[in-house]
Amino acid sequence: MARLSIKAENVSKKYYIKHHMGSQAGSSLKEALNQPIAGLLRSINPNHNHYENPDTFWALSNICFEVEHGESVGLIGRNGAGKSTLLKILSRITRPTEGRIIIYERINSLLEIGTGFNMDLSGRDNIYLNGSFLGMKRVEIDRKFDEIVDFSGIETFIETPVKYYSSGMFVRLAFSVAVHLTPEILLLDEVLAVGDAEFKQKSLNKMKELLGSGATIILVSHSESSIKEICNRVIWLSNGQIEMDGPSKLVVDKYIQSIHQSE
Amino acid sequence: MAESQQIKEFKPIIITPPHGIEFPDFKEVWEHRDLLIFLVRRELKSRFQQTVIGVLWIALQPIIQMLIFYLVLGILVKVPTDNVPYPVFFLSGFIVWQFFSQIVNASAFSMLSNIGIIVKSYFPRLVLPLAVTISSIVDFLVSFVIILVLMAMNGLPITTRFLLLPVLLILTMLFASGVGLLFGALMVSFRDVKNFLGFILMIWMYITPIMYPMSLIPEQYRVYARLNPLTSLVETYRWVFLGTGSLPPWSNFLISFIVALLIWLIGAIYFRNMENMIADVM
Repeated sequence: MARLSIKAENVSKKYYIKHHMGSQAGSSLKEALNQPIAGLLRSINPNHNHYENPDTFWALSNICFEVEHGESVGLIGRNGAGKSTLLKILSRITRPTEGRIIIYERINSLLEIGTGFNMDLSGRDNIYLNGSFLGMKRVEIDRKFDEIVDFSGIETFIETPVKYYSSGMFVRLAFSVAVHLTPEILLLDEVLAVGDAEFKQKSLNKMKELLGSGATIILVSHSESSIKEICNRVIWLSNGQIEMDGPSKLVVDKYIQSIHQSE
Repeated sequence: MAESQQIKEFKPIIITPPHGIEFPDFKEVWEHRDLLIFLVRRELKSRFQQTVIGVLWIALQPIIQMLIFYLVLGILVKVPTDNVPYPVFFLSGFIVWQFFSQIVNASAFSMLSNIGIIVKSYFPRLVLPLAVTISSIVDFLVSFVIILVLMAMNGLPITTRFLLLPVLLILTMLFASGVGLLFGALMVSFRDVKNFLGFILMIWMYITPIMYPMSLIPEQYRVYARLNPLTSLVETYRWVFLGTGSLPPWSNFLISFIVALLIWLIGAIYFRNMENMIADVM
């Protein structure tokens, strides 16, 4: 059997929704954020598995899957299906409410390119700052610095504060840092949606290159074509549960079919 | 190759639900020391971007405060200051307060002000308050230069008492960082704390003998003033700068360190447990 990369056992995530201004001061904003998702969930499936009371909802329930080394898995599903929550748990940004995940390889997540960029600092400083937020060591960034700058194509502006960059330059620099990570597992959230067509192609190619070098990729995307292009396996999430898990084409086609049916 | 070795040694990460009280993973914080260094540099660089103006801004704060209090308390009210000129007297206490309150404030807000990064990437959140604590040393150095100038203007010499300064600074940072962590963690669960902190710090400044000497507090209330850990700290700084009062016995330092360390550990543990919540709450 191939080497395991990720193993998720009965992972569930519960969110609390506060309807009143409680003593928990974080509640008001939380309410604003969660309400629409929870409302949507309930309207879709009133007999939701973990349904307890209107103040909680399960963004994920009993998720089990295994990912082998070198696999590239796409996550699809409607808004609020739990894709981002799952990715957040895998990236260790939030913790599950139940269950367990074991990660066997070095992992990096890319939920947004340009994480931790500081507008006042130069491109050079931001490469280091961003790289270290993504979990790179200083020596690693030192070693790849020239490569990163080359790939971004902004050599002449590398000492200029990022606030003077055009948005295109900014994205190129941020993306360049990101693709020079050397993870064994890469978690990606909709990053392909950034940039123009040429840039999208460039990032697709880079991802295929990473896959070729043996990386494991988990990709959340609404673009069925890029999922089909990159992923050999797709997990379809619906109401926080796995609806289907199998070869990309099969699952994506079923998913598209279900969307048309419900319309 | 170093890198392939690193990968071979990779220990599986086990992600579980938060379970009971969790302790901060100091080993992990140490592994993220590069990030800590970059954060300190980010803090300083963006502040000293326009070098001259940057330093000036930091210097302006204590100077203006000193002028106000000199005018009100030194000239108008004529607060007795143990025969030390009021400006030096005030500043020798105020720079301690400024150092303390800056660390408390910046540490407490460090998670809120970096929420954008927190919800997008994983790293031990403790590096955020640690980075602001370390970078505030630079602000202290600026104030320190001002007081040295002021001391020279008043003919006060730099003595061997100054050797105690590093010990005092470490103690102040430890205590301030602990208090900051406590407030930072509180802020995650109770948003109102954000608004209270300013008041708490203001009251704390007034009850600490910074703009007035300890001798102004009636004898029977001094015991209560001593309950404020900052009182002894400010007094000891004054002993270093001005030679007023006396050096507390070493046993007091030991007790202070133990208490400050305990506060810090409690703060760090509380902070660690709020860390689990922050991405869900914000």
